[in-house]
Amino acid sequence: MAADSAANVVDAQVNSSIGKISLYEGSTQYKSWRYSPEQLERIRISLNVAAVAAIRNTFEADEPGSSSNVLFLGAGEEQLLVKLYITKIPQLCGHFRFPEEVEATAISYLKRFYLKNTVMDWHPKNVMLTTLFLATKTTNNPISLESYTSNIPKTSSSDVLDLEFLVSQSLNFELAVWHAHRALWGIWLDLQSLPDVTEDLRPQDIYDIAIKHVRASRFTDAELIYTPSQIALASLALASPLLAQRWADSKAPPGSIQPLSETMEPTLGAIKYIITQMGHPPDVEAVREVDRRLKLCKNPEKVPGSKAYLARQAEEQRRAEEKRHKKAEDVRRAITESNPFGNELNDDEKATQLAELDDDD
Amino acid sequence: MDAVEKANAERQKRWVKDRKVGEGTYAVVYQGREASTGRKVAIKKIKVGQFKDGLDMSAIREVKYLRELHHQNIIELLDVFSSKTNLNLVLEFLDSDLEMIIQDRSLVFLPADIKAWMAMTLRGLEFCHRNFMLHRDLKPNNLLIASDGQLKIADFGLARDFADPGHKMTCQVITRWYRPPELLFGCRYYSSAVDIWSVGCIFAELMLRTPYLPGESDMDQLKTIFRALGTPTEEDWPGHTKLPDYVPVGQFPRTPLRDLFTAASGDTLNLLSRFLVYEPRKRISVRDALNHAYFFALPHPSHPSKLPKPATQTSRPLEELDGNVEMAGAGPGVKANAPNKLKRKLTSPDGTELRPLARRLDFTQLAKHS
Repeated sequence: MAADSAANVVDAQVNSSIGKISLYEGSTQYKSWRYSPEQLERIRISLNVAAVAAIRNTFEADEPGSSSNVLFLGAGEEQLLVKLYITKIPQLCGHFRFPEEVEATAISYLKRFYLKNTVMDWHPKNVMLTTLFLATKTTNNPISLESYTSNIPKTSSSDVLDLEFLVSQSLNFELAVWHAHRALWGIWLDLQSLPDVTEDLRPQDIYDIAIKHVRASRFTDAELIYTPSQIALASLALASPLLAQRWADSKAPPGSIQPLSETMEPTLGAIKYIITQMGHPPDVEAVREVDRRLKLCKNPEKVPGSKAYLARQAEEQRRAEEKRHKKAEDVRRAITESNPFGNELNDDEKATQLAELDDDD
Repeated sequence: MDAVEKANAERQKRWVKDRKVGEGTYAVVYQGREASTGRKVAIKKIKVGQFKDGLDMSAIREVKYLRELHHQNIIELLDVFSSKTNLNLVLEFLDSDLEMIIQDRSLVFLPADIKAWMAMTLRGLEFCHRNFMLHRDLKPNNLLIASDGQLKIADFGLARDFADPGHKMTCQVITRWYRPPELLFGCRYYSSAVDIWSVGCIFAELMLRTPYLPGESDMDQLKTIFRALGTPTEEDWPGHTKLPDYVPVGQFPRTPLRDLFTAASGDTLNLLSRFLVYEPRKRISVRDALNHAYFFALPHPSHPSKLPKPATQTSRPLEELDGNVEMAGAGPGVKANAPNKLKRKLTSPDGTELRPLARRLDFTQLAKHS
């Protein structure tokens, strides 16, 4: 979706002239997961419209007329629900004492997942558990599934693993995520080596306030629009405008006409606005209402035991059966239809070879 | 079908599996092609269903890093798709590896050839380190060779990001013969210098045409290293006796590299000795290695297309496809490949090669159908 022409050009550059672009520009985050606010809006609305149409169809196929008085969720309501579960991740991570990297990565995965899927198909409660477990592995902090599920009430291992493939696919198997908290740490270390930033200018509590803003930014769309270092600098600016300015100006390319802090101002202003206005958990009452309605409008195909679910399963089974038959038939034909004067061994080999061919494509 | 599933199905259709070329408990590898162009590819199918903890760590590491890294000297991951409960990695097809080339006694290496392989290895590794990534399993059989002679670093199943200072890492990484002494002493805080030691061992192996430091066990590995390079003193490597698994393994004198590498130039030996420095902090960095006088002195590195390659182009035999991660315990528990899997088939006394029978059979079958 973010694979606009600009991203494609970058892609081509990476492959042809290596080393000419920054590391960040070579990342999948830069290539696949950056959007303008308008793009985000468009994606979410079209995803929601398509989902509603598909679920309406399923309802109608089951019982004509049954979808007319269902109040489906809108894109905004979907997002509200996702946001609630984003705020659950830090709580769980605190419980497990996972490093911040795990927490931030799980949140990024959850956001990315719902740019490809709808909550009416997959409830964020489950997806959240899966993204968090996946994040422990991708950030190299793995724990066993058993100790994971046994520490979360009413959770079975299938609640976590059933969606792992769907989540990885939705993430396009792009598992590396760059985070603003790392960028902030980098800026903080940089500040310690700036000659005009004396120690009394940078007390620890400024960093502590800035990191709180970074954490608040995780509840928002900021990471889908801005780079980690932009978010980090905006967070620092909220904690200490002076330090943010000193740092930015120290990074200005030689010969620039305008100080970097001024060039950056519109971007930083936009991020600061997002963090302060949207960087908090949603109103629980409002979400509860959304969740109540979701029970009535979720996709019956995804509800185990429902008529639509069973119908879909039967269809999938039929297709798999068909494929198995076809393959068995191919093997049989390879044996019987080969040259009758041909050498037997060879035929056997051919049959074995066919049998060895992968049966899942 | 959901949009995500549909996208996956479309990806899957882009690739055709032609025949199986290897199988392990962890993965099956097929030779295949891109349906639209006929371009040859290797498809590594990882059996995920059997892991009780879901997608396993080596698959995750491989996908995570190869998705990000695009470099001429790093194997290219062309696509990823899933089928049933399997994960399929579509990789560029590479027909041999440096181990096969080293072992092929019919090939003669010129110093310029070795320089070319070293330059390509270091360029690929420099890109990994520049991206804050440790490979942790460099060895000749993970350095694959494309048909145009380009060398590509492969197998990122043990790779990880640089750890923050004070963050422990497992020391059970890197195939033993290429494992640096700090890991053998159980060091849990280490750096990109671990990969550099492996590069040094590979450099020596390219000159000797046989593994340079082939220890029989972890303990014997230390002895083998010290026998070759001398037991380190406190001055050589301050603090090493305080490492968790430190044990004295005997006093061996340092013998000059010149005694073993009789034909090597001064620059060559200097670079080799800088790779094999005991003190990890003093070991040469990959960037400094690329700027070392060795690469600027004559002879110039051979052009990749002119490098020696095995006479018959057969598919690379697959050996180490097994998962190598244990999930027991709280932290990331990674175990290196089992020792018996590391045994290289050495040459027989008369210099002819002893290939395992299974491998030979495999080849004939492939040749018949290709």
